[in-house]
Amino acid sequence: MSELRKLTFGYIGLLALLALTVASSFIDLGGFNVALNLAIAAAKAVLIAMLFMHLTGTLPRLAVAAAGLWLIVLFGLTLIGR
Amino acid sequence: MSGTESVAFDTPRRERRADTFAMWVFIGSEAMLFGAIFLVFLVAHIDFGPAFAAASKRLSLPLGTFNTAVLITSSFTMALAHGLALHRRWRATIWALVATAALGVCFLIVKGIEYGKEIAEGLAPLLGLPFRYAGPDPVHAEFFFGLYFAMTSLHALHLIGGIVVIAGMIALWGAASPANRLRRVVAIGLYWHFVDIIWVFMFPVLYLINR
Repeated sequence: MSELRKLTFGYIGLLALLALTVASSFIDLGGFNVALNLAIAAAKAVLIAMLFMHLTGTLPRLAVAAAGLWLIVLFGLTLIGR
Repeated sequence: MSGTESVAFDTPRRERRADTFAMWVFIGSEAMLFGAIFLVFLVAHIDFGPAFAAASKRLSLPLGTFNTAVLITSSFTMALAHGLALHRRWRATIWALVATAALGVCFLIVKGIEYGKEIAEGLAPLLGLPFRYAGPDPVHAEFFFGLYFAMTSLHALHLIGGIVVIAGMIALWGAASPANRLRRVVAIGLYWHFVDIIWVFMFPVLYLINR
């Protein structure tokens, strides 16, 4: 069952990323700590969305793109306006 | 014998696709809710960085890391439930769902232990509890803990909702047709993974910021 292998690899990958993000917090990288932690969180989110949530098909992707667009507007306008 | 729940769909496959799209739209609206709270935290972090970093060190990193692993494992068992339901291995599907809900309960228990610790240390500025914080800038540290409790309790409420729905699904399992079982597993799975993704962002933001 190759599906099971895919899920297991995804699971191990997620745990490895968790270990990486915790380990990175003990090393002082200046301003890069926050960026690295958020990048790892985004990578985990993509793994979960693609492997566990089967994010395929036009309509689900459209819903995610719409949510992403509004989040960009929300964060973008707030941070520009400061 | 079409096996659909609603007469609006002629095949179970179509009904499942409509369900999946609706779940993704719902997840998008949930992302707006959590996005706004993350934005408040981000702006406060930019303004009060040192106070937030010092306050963040008072959280329990071991418990937070353990809980993240627990939630990732629960997402894995939920994904297994989906795969098993596709192969119509119903008994195994139920066990995967039970494991998922049990891991969710485990997360809540550990979260409760954390809350208990923080309340005992006087770090919980809620319900009129005393806030005793010896570090620098206690006013903004109090703001950090206020946000911490708001964000994590909102996430915990979502998790409780997921556990209740899984319990209800298992209770109604015998009466459901195979197509409806699969449809429900897919729908609750999408929700569960989304709640996991929220935690995946909350964990570094709250526990790891500038350690």
